[in-house]
Parts: sequence; C-alpha cells; structure tokens
Amino acid sequence: MTDASSEAMERLVGVARDPRAYVGRWRAEHPGGAVLAILPMNFPRELAHAAGALPVIVQDDQQPITEGRALLAEFYCGYTRNLADQVATGRFDLYDAVFTADHCIQLIGATEIARTLKPDTTVFLGMLNSSMNDSWAPAKVTETMAEIRAEIERFTGNPVGPDALRQSIEACNRDRRLIRQLLDTRSAGEAALSPVELQDIIVSSMVMDPVEHHALLLEALAGLHGTERDDRVRVHLSGHLCHAPRRELLEVIEDSGAIVVDDDLYHGRRYLSTDVAEDGDPIAALAGWYARRNVTIPCPTRVQQDADWDVYLLDAVRHSGAEAVIHLVPKFCEPHMLYYPELRKALDAADVPQLQLETEHEGMPLESFRTRIEALVERALRRRPVHV
Amino acid sequence: MLGSIEKPVEDKSNRLGMTRVGGRMIADYWDDLFTARERGKKIVWYNGGALNPMFQAAGLAWCHGEAFAARLAAQRLEGPAQLAGAEYGYNAELCSYSRTHLGCSVLTLQGTEGDQTGVVGVHDQEVLAAKLPAPDFFVNNYAGCSTGQQWDGISYRVFGKELPIFNISHPFLWGNKPDSGYLRGEEWETASRFVADQLRELIGFLENQTGRPFDYDALSESMTYIKRAGELRREGLDLCKAKPAPATFWDWIASVAPINFLPGNQALVDYFADVRDEIQGRIDNGVSAVKDEKYRLYFDGIMNWNKLGYLSRKFAEHGVAVLAGRYIQNAFWQEPHLIDTSDPILGMAQHYLLCPTNHGAKTLEYLTLRDCEEYGLDGLVFHSTRTCRAFTGPQRLLARSAQDKLGIPSIFFEGDVADASFYKDGILESRLVAMLEAIDVRRERGSLPDGFSAFA
Ligand code: SF4
Ligand code: SF4
Repeated sequence: MTDASSEAMERLVGVARDPRAYVGRWRAEHPGGAVLAILPMNFPRELAHAAGALPVIVQDDQQPITEGRALLAEFYCGYTRNLADQVATGRFDLYDAVFTADHCIQLIGATEIARTLKPDTTVFLGMLNSSMNDSWAPAKVTETMAEIRAEIERFTGNPVGPDALRQSIEACNRDRRLIRQLLDTRSAGEAALSPVELQDIIVSSMVMDPVEHHALLLEALAGLHGTERDDRVRVHLSGHLCHAPRRELLEVIEDSGAIVVDDDLYHGRRYLSTDVAEDGDPIAALAGWYARRNVTIPCPTRVQQDADWDVYLLDAVRHSGAEAVIHLVPKFCEPHMLYYPELRKALDAADVPQLQLETEHEGMPLESFRTRIEALVERALRRRPVHV
Repeated sequence: MLGSIEKPVEDKSNRLGMTRVGGRMIADYWDDLFTARERGKKIVWYNGGALNPMFQAAGLAWCHGEAFAARLAAQRLEGPAQLAGAEYGYNAELCSYSRTHLGCSVLTLQGTEGDQTGVVGVHDQEVLAAKLPAPDFFVNNYAGCSTGQQWDGISYRVFGKELPIFNISHPFLWGNKPDSGYLRGEEWETASRFVADQLRELIGFLENQTGRPFDYDALSESMTYIKRAGELRREGLDLCKAKPAPATFWDWIASVAPINFLPGNQALVDYFADVRDEIQGRIDNGVSAVKDEKYRLYFDGIMNWNKLGYLSRKFAEHGVAVLAGRYIQNAFWQEPHLIDTSDPILGMAQHYLLCPTNHGAKTLEYLTLRDCEEYGLDGLVFHSTRTCRAFTGPQRLLARSAQDKLGIPSIFFEGDVADASFYKDGILESRLVAMLEAIDVRRERGSLPDGFSAFA
C-alpha cells in the first residue's frame, strides 16, 4: 500500500470503529443537517441521503450493557440490548431521529425504548411487508416507501424530488458495487484484505455519506496489491444478522487454520447484495430493490416461499469452493434459530462440514470457539484429496 | 432442596365450576379434530388471530398451532414434541410454542412415512395423547410478533414446500401519526381496511382449497354467536371488578380456548352465559374466588400453561386475587361492538389487529393502567416469558409507567409458555412476598393513591 492509500484505509477504519467522531465532523461540515439513526436491515438509506441527511446504520458499539438491563430482558438479542443501552446512557443522543422499516419483534422492542425514553424525538416505523409472496406486497411496499419519503421530507424540511433521489441511488449503487467487487475477488482467490479489514470497509459504508465513502475507498484501494490465498481451509461465514461479528472472532477463525472466502453476513454480502434500478420511478425502484434483495440472498426475517437461504448457501459454497461453513448465530436471534435447521439439513445432505457458533454480546468463549474451529478445520482437511 | 417446587399449603382458591364444562368442550373439540380426516374433512393448520369462523364457514377442520402447543404443555405432554424439535435443530431459546408445534410437524412426517394415515407420530401417539392430523394447507394470521409469521414459513418448509400456504400481513400499530390511538386514527383505519382486504383474498384461497363456494351466511351466523359470546365474556369480566372478586384471571385463562377456537354456535354462547351467571350468582351470594382476599393484582404475559393450577393456588395462598391481564382483557374478541354480524369481515380484521402484542407501548400503557384502575389493583406481576419476546418487550416500560403514574409496584418472575424448565418458583415466591409486604406498609401509611386503599 502507498502512504496515501494506507492513510485512506486508516480513515475508513477510524470511521468504522468510532462513528461518533465521523458524525461530529459531518455535522461541523453540514450545519443544520440532520443525522438519522437507521436501524437494520432493509431501510432505504437513499431516501434520507436525497433529503440531505446523513443516514447512519446504528452499529452495536460493543460496550458492556449497563442501564439497558433495566429496560429490555436479558433474553433479547445482543444488538437490541445494546441499542437499549445506548439510549439509556445517552450514547444515542448522537442522532436527531430514528427511522426503521423492519419488523423483527426484538428490534421493535428496542425501538420502543428509544421512543419512550426520548419522547420528543421522531421515531418512525415504516413497516415493509415482510411476507414477500403476498400478491398485494409490491403495491404495499411501494406505498410504504412513499410514506417513508414523506416522513423524511417532513422531518428534514427538504423535498426529495425524483432527480435528487436518482442521484442518491446512483451514489449508493456505486459504493455497493465497489465493495461487492472486493467480495467477488475474495471468492475468486484474492486474499489481500482480511475479514476484519473488509468488515471495517463495510461498517464505514453504513455510516458515511456514500459519495465520500466511495472516494475514500477508491483511494484506499489504489495501492492494494493482489495476494494469493494460502492453503488454509476455505470457509464461508453465514448469518449474523443486524450487527457485525466481533473482530476478535474473525481473527480467531483465521488463526485456527481457516481462511474466509465468502459470507452472507449482514455486515458482508447481505448488505451489499443488490443495486437499485437507476431508471424509471425511483420509489418503485426502491420497492423493487427490497423485493430483489431477498431473492439475491434470502433472509430469515422475511417469509418467501420461493426464495431459499439453504439453496443460496449451497450455491455460494460451490461457487467460492468453500470447504466448510461456519454459522454465526447471535444468541437469541429468533429468525436465525428458526431457519438454522433448514441450513443444517441442506449442508448435511450435500456433505459440507459445518459448525454453529452462538455469539454473545458479552463474554464470548473465544478459546472454546478456537478448539471447535480447529476441529472443523481438521474435518475439512481430511476430505482433501491426498496427493502421493 | 434445590429446584424443588413446594406445594402450597392450603388451597384458598375457589375456581368457577363452569370451567370444567369448558374443559369438556375443548376435549370434545380435539377428539373431533383427531378424526376429521376419517370424516372426509380437509384440515388447515393456522397460527395467530382466531380465523376459525372462516374455516367453520368453509366446512374445514382447523388446528391452531399455539393452542395445540399450549394443550400439550397444560397436559405436560410437550416433551416428545420438544425433543423431536431439538433433534431437528431448534434451539431451546426459540419460542416454545413454535418449537413444540414444529416438533409436532417433525413427528407428523416421521409418523406418515410409509403410510398415509396423516396422524402425528403414530408410534408416539400414546405419549403425545394427541392424534393431530397432518395439514392439507396452512394459513398464517399472526399479528404483532414476527416469529409467528416466520414459524408458519418454516412449517411450510418442514413439510417439504408441498402444501399451499396463505399469509395475512398485519401492520404493527406503532402510532406514527399524531391522531393514532386505541381504536382510532388514520393508521387504525388504514390497517383495518388492509387486513379486511386480505381476508377477502383468503376467502378465494379457501374456495380453491375446498372446491366449494364460500358460505357467507354461515360466516355471519358463526360470527353472530361469537359476538354474543364475546359480549357475555365482557359482562363476566366486568363483574369481576367487585370486591371481593367473584372470579379471577385464572378462571378466564381456563376460558381462553373456548373463545379462541371453538366453533361459533349456540353451545359457545350458552357456555359464556353460564360463566357470567355463575359469577353473578357468586356476587349475589357473597362467594369470593379467593378465600380472605387481601390483595388484587395484574398479571402480564402469556400463560405459563404447565403452571395454571399451581399458580392459581399459589396466589390464593397469599390472599391474592389476580384479576386482570393483557392476555385476558385485551385479547380474544374483546371489542365485540366492532363486529357487524351482517358483514363481519372488517370487525374480524380489527380483532386480528388488536392482538395484545401488536400495539405500541403507548397504547399498551393506556390499556394496562386503565385495567389497573378499573379493577382497583395494588400491583403488577410480570411473567417474563422467557421465549416470547413479543410479550416481554414492553414489560419494563409498563412497570415504570404503573409506578410513575399510578404509584403501584411490580415484580418480574421468569417462566415460559410451554417450557417448564424456565420457571423458577423460588424467585416468584420471594418477590411476591416482598411486594405484598410493601403493599401492606403503604396501606398502613395510607400512602396509596386514590382507588388503591385497602379494602380488606
Ligand atoms: S433479526 Fe436477529 S439480530 Fe436482528 S434484531 Fe432481530 S433478533 Fe436481533
Ligand atoms: S414468541 Fe410469543 S407471540 Fe411470538 S410466536 Fe411465540 S408465543 Fe407467539
């Protein structure tokens, strides 16, 4: 890497690890601009960007949960408990409003905490129809996208015209495409960026203005040289909805004889999987994006009879040549717990070695994970053809 | 004695006699369902809001997934289904209704391998004490909880993606608009119409499945009975505001199944008329539901089905009449005035939206505090229902509101809808005793707000 590119990379890493500092800088450069807390996983950031706001996908800030304990039961997923804690301790005051479009009951629970503790703040739920095969779903989703636009216009005081929205769509597409290329080249054998670096790139794209992010990422990649994968066991990481797996865990995976070649994590391919159509009515294009996203990589929070996460996973494994799959299941994540047996069944039938790791917000048993990953690596190695 | 559950010393509870009649009606319903296929009926599995009048009018036999899981748990027969679910890969932290029911699906498939009896785990029949027939198709009608919708999506997959499925989507009544409120505002009106339109689509789907035109008159007739049963239930509930209380929350829990999935007919109306009359009779004769009633409490959470009898005795032992709860006052055809029996679709849609997990916290606060005031309650008990995130989500907020706005205390205890292993008796006992002592102290000091003074 050149000095300029490593400096750009450092800035991306800085944003990923400290979104608060970036928001502070953005506010200074955009006096009066609104910073919106966006909750995962399907909210169209484009609509907020087109209104001149900064749409920040709220990250699990990995702080221990203190006051949030008194607000949300301990058997809620780590992400939602962390959100409640951010609200209770004032760390959420960073944002001017909250916008969400998803209906995971645990996310709704955390969003209620924000609404109740911050009664003067706009906390908007524009619920996207989650049953994707309903014949009325396309019209309903388009209607909801228009409602979200109206609410953003009302909140920011800025109209979101079709041209501005198209520009935001193009900007987000450009950034998504660039990051997707990195994931594609990784599946094809490129190993220049570690899973932690890729995660930092993706997190920073969820926080930053997409135009700025794209420019900075181009700079960061300018000095990057191709690196071939070594001989470690190729694994696909699957799952981990809504929030990023801990960096330590990604490091343990790659320290235990495995190398990540692909994923369907939210902080991975899932977030970037699909572009929004750049022609036609942009609201209809966002509705179409929402529908296609769940076909590109099916999500267990949606119900769709003709889109199968298990089928997707097997295809992805074949495509990347992954030798094993590690399921990363955030503890108490109900949609994932419901779908997991279907994934397990499909991989078993295809004879793909797999391992389920239940991740916790606090107190993750990394050493026991290491032992289990090493056992998975052993199993996968025994399947490699023996050359004499 | 670690982990042991001590039996309450003296049974001070005086349960309604009518609930035994309800128990027989429910047993008959299940027996009927178990033989439905032999009688040439098509069978629908459904979850969520009470669609049974639709199925009744379409000439189907119906199985409500949560109800079946609750029944197994109440009879302590959930073990084999939960084990089958666990072997299939369902985590013990998953909603225990769903994993019990999905376990039944797994057993059903194992049981039908090689034969087409369509009977749940033929080899396990004795253990399950249930002969649940496999479905011909699914209908999902879950409001509020996303797990409810995903659960049927997964049942569809467990059955090999071969059976038809129809899904009704319910907007969460979040309250985005300034005019939003309980039964009012633009959001309520729009959501009601949206769900009503889907129910009309469902009718088309049912016609396709049965090959018969839908009988709208039969729907009106069944909804006429259900509306009347709902009114009688409300009258009975209102009578329980009397002091001392003539019947409790636990009696109404025993009447959940009849109002939630028994056919709409004269027998249902008679049942709720008799329940109301029995309650009125107790008032007339000065008979109370709890011997020496001393405290009146609210219970929030879905029922811990394995513990119904035990909890009713336990609370009574402490002189506690549990009188209201989200799962009773704010569920199950609770607003019968919304039903127009000549065209019941809109009123039905509205009841599905009124599921107690489908409201924003503001509405829940309104409903909970209203019931606390109307029933003259001294405190709240929150059943922190371990695997039901839908019910538990707003509980801490509701406890805070009750404390801040009415000055009444709360306790939390952990348990679960259909998994007894999460229940911790010692915690409930010690917290309950502490709360009752605190209520005593406050009564002595006369510091309870108006309407909450001691009556005993
Ligand atoms: S989808 Fe999973 S991780 Fe996301 S909010 Fe719901 S339970 Fe939590
Ligand atoms: S989590 Fe609760 S509300 Fe949701 S499906 Fe299970 S029992 Fe029903």
